Amino acid sequence: MNIVATIAQTLETSAVGEWMRTSLKAMPVIEAIHVLTAAVVFGTILIVDLRLLGVPSTRRAVTRIHEELVRFTWAAFGVSVVTGLLMFAPNATTYFRNTAFALKMLSLLAAGVNMAIFEGRTFRSVTAWDRDVPAPPAARVAGALSILIWAAVIFFARWIGFTKGYDFAVPDDVDLNFAFPPQ
Amino acid sequence: MHAFAEWLQTTPVSVTIQSVTWVIPLLQSIHILMIGVVFISILMIALRVLGRVRADETFSAVWRRFAPWMWCGLVVMAVTGLTLIVGEPIREFTALSFWLKMGLIVAAVTCTIVFARTVKPADGAADPEFSLATKSAVVAALVVWTAIIFLGRAIAYDAAVWGSLSPSA
Repeated sequence: MNIVATIAQTLETSAVGEWMRTSLKAMPVIEAIHVLTAAVVFGTILIVDLRLLGVPSTRRAVTRIHEELVRFTWAAFGVSVVTGLLMFAPNATTYFRNTAFALKMLSLLAAGVNMAIFEGRTFRSVTAWDRDVPAPPAARVAGALSILIWAAVIFFARWIGFTKGYDFAVPDDVDLNFAFPPQ
Repeated sequence: MHAFAEWLQTTPVSVTIQSVTWVIPLLQSIHILMIGVVFISILMIALRVLGRVRADETFSAVWRRFAPWMWCGLVVMAVTGLTLIVGEPIREFTALSFWLKMGLIVAAVTCTIVFARTVKPADGAADPEFSLATKSAVVAALVVWTAIIFLGRAIAYDAAVWGSLSPSA
């Protein structure tokens, strides 16, 4: 935990952290890119998850849908990580202790574990259920869980904005001073 | 308009939306989830026009797969968006980003309806040869929807983004 705290401290005092804190236009642009890439990650994963659940049908091969979309998902996820770090950096030590942020990170971890189990075990037998037959229960459960977990990631992410990094609600018109000691 | 916003903000519905702490974050989260549904549906239709995905399927099949999700997503976005406006009317109405976003949404939805009526082939019909104009139009649509997403986020930072052009500055 100390290592993470040290990383948070380093990020916050870095030139990038300082730039994100002081630049007027950086935060809205970075946040908008984060929303756009989150939409692409969620949207592409949703298409695959729905196909596992047989929605709208099982006619199109799972492997084909997966192969076609996975590059978009990973490219958008990569940009999400970079923009996420840029948003985290200016107040890293505060976000680090924030419940909504912790729940978002746990949800991301859960999404990763769900994906690893699916890709590592269930997906290996895909030739047997690639098209025209329902996916096995394990694949359908993975698809349903994935939709729920990614929705949770987005909900907790939005919730962070309402805490402004602190563990309590801060009204929009209150401008908290993040600097320590207070200036 | 400001007087209307002030009146709206004091109505019981608006006060409830403002005072129950989880309502606005929940509505915004649903709004963002729907951005995912709508933007990806439009992206898939656009990439099919450009021949980059689902080239083995007819365009009408791709349209049938994604258009209902796009329209339903847009309806949910309109409902959550309108509720957010009722909850925070002054914040929205005093933001230049909000009005630019509304203008682009009207333009984008109108163009999508025109696109649906003119370009979409009948079910089972052979694929049309998409003209350069149609291909340019779908690229333009992606740019406009991206701008709408940017403007949506910029509402919270209107004065910082637009400076003296922002009514809230």
